[in-house]
Amino acid sequence: METRILVIVTFFAVLTAGCAQETAYIDTMHDEGKPVMGLDYRDFDQAASQMVQSMLGSGALKKKDGSRYVMTTARIVNDTMQRIDTDQLMAKIEQELLNSGQVVMTSAVGGKGSPDKMIYEMRDIRDSAQSDEFKKDTIAAKGQLIAPELSISGKILQRNLRYSKNRQQVEYYFQLKITDLTTGLRFWQEETLIGKRGSNKSVAW
Amino acid sequence: MKTITNILLIGIALLMISCQEKQQDPRIHLREEVRSDNVVDNIVTRPVAHAFSALIGEGIEITQAVTRRNEAGLLELHVNGFNRSYQTKKFYYRVEWLDENELLIQTKTSVWLRTSAMGKSSFSFKVVAPTQKAVNFRMDTKKWE
Repeated sequence: METRILVIVTFFAVLTAGCAQETAYIDTMHDEGKPVMGLDYRDFDQAASQMVQSMLGSGALKKKDGSRYVMTTARIVNDTMQRIDTDQLMAKIEQELLNSGQVVMTSAVGGKGSPDKMIYEMRDIRDSAQSDEFKKDTIAAKGQLIAPELSISGKILQRNLRYSKNRQQVEYYFQLKITDLTTGLRFWQEETLIGKRGSNKSVAW
Repeated sequence: MKTITNILLIGIALLMISCQEKQQDPRIHLREEVRSDNVVDNIVTRPVAHAFSALIGEGIEITQAVTRRNEAGLLELHVNGFNRSYQTKKFYYRVEWLDENELLIQTKTSVWLRTSAMGKSSFSFKVVAPTQKAVNFRMDTKKWE
């Protein structure tokens, strides 16, 4: 009797082990995976790509004297039901804008994630007794920071709609705008929509 | 004699209808079931035409790919195409940019983007290079499941 129970237990153990899903890397270059109701990296890639192309294609970032605009990232609001770090979107956009050669980003001021605290820590050191530990000419003097000329801000919105008895529609809106900080005028604005339809059982947050 | 006359009259009527079709402005596309039916496109012939199109596997055709530099000095690719199928074709495209040495420019804008074209319709899209270093491109497509 004991042997029989042992065999059954072993059989189920082997069966369960065989059913376990293996962990696999995602081929992010050619991902054939099915879409999910929430926002995944493909959605951020698509939104960022379309936004950058729109910005660069508009000519709004071309400075008349041929130099580069100094830009900062202001507040990007996450108005979705998901926990999104908006830097996930902005990091891609900032990287592409920097690489375009038309814009230089500042880490001196900006919204969440933009400023580099070390800039101000070094200035605190300069104004303290600790500054004696540093070579004078390697410490930033006053009046060296360059103020941003342009600011990029935006919002990610989510709308959930009942599509049919068993299906739902989720709409994600990515909105970005570029404002001239001197005049307050808006140079560029774009909205990208990513819409998904799926089962009511899928959770979109 | 009467039968011949009737056939001739019907023939002339059909010819007039099909001639009317050609007079429309080529910039305006009137779809099936919006425009008037004619001899070759009507409720009887339409299913046959659709089936034949599907049988021979008609699909997307790129008719023109033009590049130009925009005001900011960035290369722009304008793609024009035509969907030969009667069905809406949904597909992904990805444009990669090449520098003067024909080497790939690494960019986060070279991702698979979605587009679609309705049956028997033309479509267009524009892609902008992320840097002035881009002098050429290569484009790939894949089916949107």
